[in-house]
Amino acid sequence: MSPPLRVNPQPLSLSPRQRKDPTTTKMARSNFSVLTILSVILLLPVLSLSFSPASPSDRRLLVLLDDLSLKSSHSIFFNSLKSRGFDLDFKLADDPKLALQRYGQYLYDGLILFSPSIERFGGALDLAAVLDFVDSGHDLIIAADSSASDLIKSVATECGVDFDEDPSALVIDHRSYAVVGTEGDHTLIAADDFIESDVLLGENKIEAPVLFKGIAHSLNAANNLVLKVLSASPAAYSANPSSKLSSPPLLTGSSISLVSVVQARNNARIMITGSLDMFSNRFFRSSVQKAGSPKKYDKSGNEQFVTELSKWVFHERGHLKAVNLRHNKAGETDEPAMYRIKDDLDFSVEIYEWSGKSWEPYVANDVQVQFYMMSPYVLKTLSNDKKGLYHTSFKVPDVYGVFQFKVEYNRLGYTSLLLSKQIPVRPFKHNEYERFITAAFPYYGASFTMMAGFFIFSFVYLYHK
Amino acid sequence: MARNLGRFLVLIAAALIYSSAIASSIFQPISDSHRSAALELFNPLGGSFSSVEETYEELRTFEVLGIDRRSDISTAACQSVLEILGSSSSTLKDLFYALKINGILQCGIKEDVFEGVASRLQAVVGGASALLDFYYSVGGLVLIKGQTSKDDLYLADAEGVFRSIKALSQSDGRWRYNSNNPESSTFAAGLALEALAGIVSLSSSEIDQSLISTTKNDILKLFDSIEKYDDGAFYFDEKLVGAREHQGALSTTSSVVRGLTAFAAVTSGSLNLPRGKILGLAKFFLGIGIPGDAKDLFNQVDSLAFLESNTYDSFGSCCRVSIPLILSLPATVLSMTKKDALKVKVSTVLGSNAPPLTVNLLQVFRSGSKDTSLIESQELKFDPENAVYTLDALPKSIDVGKYTFVFEMVLHDSDHKNLYATGGQTRIPIFVTGVIEVDSAEIAVLDSDLGSIETKKKIDLAEENTVSLSANHLQKLRLSFQLSTPLGHAFKPHQAILKLTHETKVEHMFVMGSSGKQFEIILDFLGQVEKFFYLSGRYNIQLAVGDAVMENSFLKAIGHVDLDLPKPPEKAPQPPAQPLDPNLIYGPKAEIAHIFRAPEKLPPKELSLTFSGLTLLPFLGFLIGLLRLGVNLKNFPSSSVPAMFATLFHLGIAAVLLLYMLFWLKLDLFTTLKALGFLGAFLMFVGHRILSHLASSSSSKLKSA
Repeated sequence: MSPPLRVNPQPLSLSPRQRKDPTTTKMARSNFSVLTILSVILLLPVLSLSFSPASPSDRRLLVLLDDLSLKSSHSIFFNSLKSRGFDLDFKLADDPKLALQRYGQYLYDGLILFSPSIERFGGALDLAAVLDFVDSGHDLIIAADSSASDLIKSVATECGVDFDEDPSALVIDHRSYAVVGTEGDHTLIAADDFIESDVLLGENKIEAPVLFKGIAHSLNAANNLVLKVLSASPAAYSANPSSKLSSPPLLTGSSISLVSVVQARNNARIMITGSLDMFSNRFFRSSVQKAGSPKKYDKSGNEQFVTELSKWVFHERGHLKAVNLRHNKAGETDEPAMYRIKDDLDFSVEIYEWSGKSWEPYVANDVQVQFYMMSPYVLKTLSNDKKGLYHTSFKVPDVYGVFQFKVEYNRLGYTSLLLSKQIPVRPFKHNEYERFITAAFPYYGASFTMMAGFFIFSFVYLYHK
Repeated sequence: MARNLGRFLVLIAAALIYSSAIASSIFQPISDSHRSAALELFNPLGGSFSSVEETYEELRTFEVLGIDRRSDISTAACQSVLEILGSSSSTLKDLFYALKINGILQCGIKEDVFEGVASRLQAVVGGASALLDFYYSVGGLVLIKGQTSKDDLYLADAEGVFRSIKALSQSDGRWRYNSNNPESSTFAAGLALEALAGIVSLSSSEIDQSLISTTKNDILKLFDSIEKYDDGAFYFDEKLVGAREHQGALSTTSSVVRGLTAFAAVTSGSLNLPRGKILGLAKFFLGIGIPGDAKDLFNQVDSLAFLESNTYDSFGSCCRVSIPLILSLPATVLSMTKKDALKVKVSTVLGSNAPPLTVNLLQVFRSGSKDTSLIESQELKFDPENAVYTLDALPKSIDVGKYTFVFEMVLHDSDHKNLYATGGQTRIPIFVTGVIEVDSAEIAVLDSDLGSIETKKKIDLAEENTVSLSANHLQKLRLSFQLSTPLGHAFKPHQAILKLTHETKVEHMFVMGSSGKQFEIILDFLGQVEKFFYLSGRYNIQLAVGDAVMENSFLKAIGHVDLDLPKPPEKAPQPPAQPLDPNLIYGPKAEIAHIFRAPEKLPPKELSLTFSGLTLLPFLGFLIGLLRLGVNLKNFPSSSVPAMFATLFHLGIAAVLLLYMLFWLKLDLFTTLKALGFLGAFLMFVGHRILSHLASSSSSKLKSA
């Protein structure tokens, strides 16, 4: 029985482009159409996988808009996606021909919902279709604004994010608003409370505050897949700026999330924000000065923030794969079928991160392996050689049974790695125990002197006269 | 039904709120940011555009914006213009745009080339039936006429062509692309108007006035279908969905504006277009801001240029379409502490200076109230240097707050009144901000029944405070402070929230009520016990006071109160779950090392070896005893056969003993038993022989004895 090895399925997936790979085609041609049909049939199930490292360049995104003018007013964001190799398909959200899948296959790898006011999608798209799309591992960006419809809000709710129920409420912050001569109601927020994570926001620190104008949302406390990437300042609150506040606002302070991300268990990634303007050319280009701060930045942090975060959402960063999980007895190279208790073993695994173009070695000092049977018996941090190879060695515990090597790697922003490999551990054989125990020497000595005495006595007894 | 109605009302209310919030939003004219955007957007790959159309769009945009970049592209552009005009196979569209480029760059095309193109276009006009063919060929002829010295370039049957284009028009003012296609389009209407204008200018004789006036009627009908945004912007949109080439609102409106201005320029007599709508169209183009698309930028800039420059008509008389003037404010947030002056800029859509005019501040309303104006009508001072109208000091009666300022532009020259569209009164929301004075803040714990003050502390809300209080559920907490505006009036901020945060991060918020300047909140803990989830312990107190017009909005810690609340009864509500710290979920786990079973305790090696030595002692004693007894082996058989058996017997015993030794050292039980089997049999045989020999010899001895 071969131990089940659960490694990320995605490195195996092939994309449609690979189907056109010259070697495949040549092979198919030479072996006539049977092979072609066979390969097509074999490849069909994997075509719908969202993230295909083999050819990330042909990733298709569906962009749903309320108004096609958004294409031009948010063009910097769209162009940055295009320049990174994405194929954008712009559609009006009420286009009657909308469909995410055809004949059971998804037509797109990601969905961008820039249509906050849509009450009902056109065509075959509805809430359930969007959720199915995410459930099958595809990525999603939702941007709402003050006109957010119930539909958009319910998509967000399904992702673990609750927008403020008050339709007229906006995020107001009288302390960290952006100073602009023509914006007096403090709804243009200069937010700089970012999550500390290089994988989400890139290695370069975002210096300038991010401009935000829109609605607040809060995270479901029970949901630990959703993360607050950009939070409001402690003085912020969500209310209608033009009416008097009669009851305490539902969302206040740092519990207001301006931008959140979700990484589902199937590694589908979702970004949710209450501001569509955040992606606009106007905000990208605008200079920003936070109230009370003398420093004026020529350019807001929006472009960097949104671009970096979209890289994360579309798996250009933080996507890990683990391959070549290996273990062997110390001093040997072959993988044994079984270990004996107290054996010394070497364990190694290779981990790579997708950089947008190629798999690069992943370097971290917190990858751990567990030697696990019902509960971990050994949990050890792996050391790495900076080239992606992680290894460690330890002694098999003196408990026998069916163990597993388990690598569970859940880090903020990274795809989770869950690998396990089963391995039995047996006790000592009868002849593997220690043979010459010093403490037993007196007994042996006594026996052997007895025997020597007997030998001599046999002479004496028989031949004495 | 009732629910639907309710929802509808809510929608209307929301729409009203939304519209009132932005109804008077400010439109800024074209500025330098457009120029930098243009330089960024028109950045051809490898130095050349894919089509002449795009090259023309770039050149035209740069021309309107006043950017000089002709030298960069003119050679390449002229080269392609020459190629297109010289070739007899180039398409109409390419010819049209090549001529347009030539109009800007003056490529120095030879007369005979023009003549060739002109005759080709003439032929097309004669045989055309589709609108686009008319548009490109007539447009091309107009351009040739403008670019050459030939004045005798006329259309042979101008009126006939006019009629055949007119035949494509629809009753609602829109046009069809060709006679086979029943779908009408607003975009096409713009093209048709431009083509008609071209025919009028190319015609050798006067076109029938009735034709002109029906076309004018068409334009007015077209304006009936104009659409409106809440902020006063007007635009045309293509209703046709699923058309071959869907045009957005921007390109549709732009096409109409182009056609409209071209037609107005060649015909005499006023079009009588409502001025508000023209201004609305300008607002629509300006409201787009800075487009992120080269085509959009061209459409925006080109249309605005047409709106601005449409006075220069061939008749030299008064304009047909008025020039919109845009009133804008560099800042709508005015600080009282910094004594900001109210500045107003009036310019044309492209940002050039307006004709001499006066800007009056007519009225000032407190926003939200429709009552009488706070001030008398006032004239703003003109600063010719910066071309800015200023109001040096804000009226005395204006305190901090949100206001709506109503401006009016009055043109000095009465001729200009027909020329420019000022849009009447312009309402602009203004925020007047200032520092709010915070006074006499204090916090106290009161005894519930008597209301007597247990502890009372003064606090300074300009700084963080660390007041420490304690209270039980029978007591009350009172917090009070005063707010007043710079002019000494009462001030009600939008945000006046008291926040109590328990150690477990459960938050409670209370809105502070006010009467006049005095803000006060009394928290009766007895009534709040359930809301507090019966959580005793330390609560941090924070006060947030903020408003859009308050320059010193603050969020200050006041201190903490130790609450002693009763124990929760059963079925008391549980406090809400707090989100987990992501570091707890995602951090590495603590290492686990297996603890191996301790090996059995054994005596030290030396001791074991000593005792092993000691076991030799009895053996030695035995040997010494034997020697002492005088042991002999005289009974050993002397004859050879028994002696052999005796030797073999003892060798056999020695072998068995050696086998035991080997068993200990290396052999396992099976090998040992096998060997022992053979040895045993052998031993039995030789033993039997020697023992029987010994027995017989001893019995014979006995006998002999």
